[in-house]
Amino acid sequence: MQLIPSDFVIGDVYFPPFLIAGLLGFVAAWLTTQLLNRYRLSRFFAYPPIVLLAMAVIYTVVIGTFLIPA
Amino acid sequence: MILSRRFKEAVKTALAITIAIGIALSMDWDKPEWAGFTVAFISLATVGQSLNQGAMRLLGTLLGALAALSIIALFAQERWLYMLALSVFAAFCIYMKGGTRHQYFWQISGVACVIIAVEAGFDPVNAFETAVQRTEETSLGVLVYSLVSVLLWPSSTGSEFTAVVAKLVSTQQKLFEASMRGMVGQGGAEESDPLRAQAIQQHARFSQLLEGAVTESYEIWEQRHQWRAYRTQVAEFAQALEGWRDSFSELRGLDLGLLLPNLVDFDTELQGRLTEIAGMHQGQAPTRQPQVVDLTVDTAAIRDLSHFHQAALTVTRSRLQQLEQVTRAIFDSVSEIRGFGRGSAKVLRPTSRTGFSLPDPDRIAPAIRVLATLWLAYLAYIYVPDIPGGTGFVIFSGSVGMALATVPQAGVSLLFVPAAASVLFAGGLYIFVMPQLSSYTSLGLLIFALTFAICYLFAAPRQVVGRALGLAMFFAIAGITNEQSYSFLAVADTALMFPLVLFVVAVTAYIPISTRPRVVFLRLLARFFRSAEHLLSTLRWDPDHRPGRMDALRKAFYTRELTTLPHKLESWVGALDTDTLGGTTPQQVQGLVTSLQALSYRMQGLLEARSHHQADFLVQELLADIRDWRVLAQDACKRLSEDPASGTREGFRAKLDDVLKHLEERIEDTFDQAGSEQLSAQDGEHFYRLLGAYRGVSEAMVAYAGSTDTINWDRWRESRF
Repeated sequence: MQLIPSDFVIGDVYFPPFLIAGLLGFVAAWLTTQLLNRYRLSRFFAYPPIVLLAMAVIYTVVIGTFLIPA
Repeated sequence: MILSRRFKEAVKTALAITIAIGIALSMDWDKPEWAGFTVAFISLATVGQSLNQGAMRLLGTLLGALAALSIIALFAQERWLYMLALSVFAAFCIYMKGGTRHQYFWQISGVACVIIAVEAGFDPVNAFETAVQRTEETSLGVLVYSLVSVLLWPSSTGSEFTAVVAKLVSTQQKLFEASMRGMVGQGGAEESDPLRAQAIQQHARFSQLLEGAVTESYEIWEQRHQWRAYRTQVAEFAQALEGWRDSFSELRGLDLGLLLPNLVDFDTELQGRLTEIAGMHQGQAPTRQPQVVDLTVDTAAIRDLSHFHQAALTVTRSRLQQLEQVTRAIFDSVSEIRGFGRGSAKVLRPTSRTGFSLPDPDRIAPAIRVLATLWLAYLAYIYVPDIPGGTGFVIFSGSVGMALATVPQAGVSLLFVPAAASVLFAGGLYIFVMPQLSSYTSLGLLIFALTFAICYLFAAPRQVVGRALGLAMFFAIAGITNEQSYSFLAVADTALMFPLVLFVVAVTAYIPISTRPRVVFLRLLARFFRSAEHLLSTLRWDPDHRPGRMDALRKAFYTRELTTLPHKLESWVGALDTDTLGGTTPQQVQGLVTSLQALSYRMQGLLEARSHHQADFLVQELLADIRDWRVLAQDACKRLSEDPASGTREGFRAKLDDVLKHLEERIEDTFDQAGSEQLSAQDGEHFYRLLGAYRGVSEAMVAYAGSTDTINWDRWRESRF
């Protein structure tokens, strides 16, 4: 595992990797929920807002661990 | 060139903000943008309304500052108790904002308390100074906006108020005429429904303008009690009209001209009163005083009718008598207001409704949302190191959460565009333009241009929170001071804070209590039928049961629920995303709400009819039958509270027809047995009113079942993200 933090650089602005992972995680969770809505699979969840939050956290952790490690 | 009202209002707000900030800078006050915030939040349509808002803002700030200083004094060293006290005060303010009066005062108290307490809480030494400065700058904002709105394109409430009052009277008169034609079978709902919608809108506008007009005009202020009484009476008239119109279906086939011999005279008298009222509003003295008319019933002719027709006629007569009383009271109020009264006219004061001080679930929910928002932001501030915005993040989350809490229909998504546009635009100006400026002349021009653009582009009433957030983000990024310094970090920090604020507000919109329209609608519908079920259970005849204090409170609570829930449901119809409801249209949902409104009126009529004494003989003879009917209706309400689609129109109709047929026979037998000493004329009337009210409730339930048939409930109940 890489132990040195790897910042994202856009122009001269440095962004922390966790911020990018969090943004991508939220976008991925939102896209998943749109698909679940589209195919009417959302009806199998008792309380969708909590599921959206949980998915955002799971995606962020996965992206942060494997795709954009700090 | 004719300038639009939107343009003028944007110029006034932008000019007032520029002047207020300029004065604050010249006085060397810290954080001059507070004066700008004040102007942004008080800028409403007319002078009167704005002055009223300004006074409310000033008083609200004083209370907020006092509460914040008390919290700092008591819990400066205890961060959890500190936040607990602060969040409870903010939640209390939002609960109070849900009431009928001084909503703005309570909102500002909550916002001011959060701003002062969070800003000053971490620096208790300067807390008092911060509170004083906030109060000073708020006063400055109020004063500057008041002067600008009075001197530049003054838009007086007076002319619009007079016009709305006249329009409301005229619409109600037309609605009465159309309803009278509908009762005798010469008109239909297509004529009266648009008038009804117009009357509701005009009454809402009249109520809105009245408070502004009271502040603006000394003449109206002097008569404010009469005007408020008039507002209540006009609402009572509208309600009586609705209740009367709902009973027409049961009068079909009856020759009302024969059964109510002086119906034409009665109609002429009421029409005459409404014409005189309209004339008095236009300054014409009344040509005649109202005459008391008693709507008589041809007792010989009604003997041939079925008992249910007699009951329907009794209910209609009592509704018409109610209209007669209300129009007389309105006539007296208007002649007093317009100076045509003889001094002895008795003006009714607004009646306080029982149970309106009881806790309201729809006021508690926003308070819980504000608590959750503040705690989420505070925990993030404590546990996430260097969170963007710092204390500003808590302040913004709390302020936006409070602004949104009481208008849950306005989604968080409406805030995104104005806030993002402000951040981008203000960031660009801060980095590239502001460093080139050297005096307040150039900075003032920049502030004016930007605030004008925000106010002009986001001028619609539903964008008011977005507009305020946009202005607030601009001032937060610009950080205007006399010794201006520039830092890219400040822009980046604020830009990152804004999505976090929206995230916190969005989370608390769904957790712990969802404000999703489709979910809220079903929740309110279930509450409506639970209330109806409870109220039906209170109608039982049980001489051994004496209702206690708790029973009375519960009854008052459910009565209020029953009265107010149809209006609340109506406010959610526009927010529903009908594309996801599997073919259900907004018109069908509106039809459902209208049928619930009718059911609500019928239930109120039943409660009122049940409160009259009934002859012991009739109670003994018909108790079991009436009880069966009540239990049937109660069961139906219980099932509807669990599933709003349980039962079909045909099913309800068949059951109702069975009950009516059986009861008709039983009443026939009972009346045959009854001697004149056992049953007075008044007993008969009370009994028919009760019978008509029961039938009205049942008919309204049949109509409700009919309106649900067209709705795709399976798709509605499905969970969605």
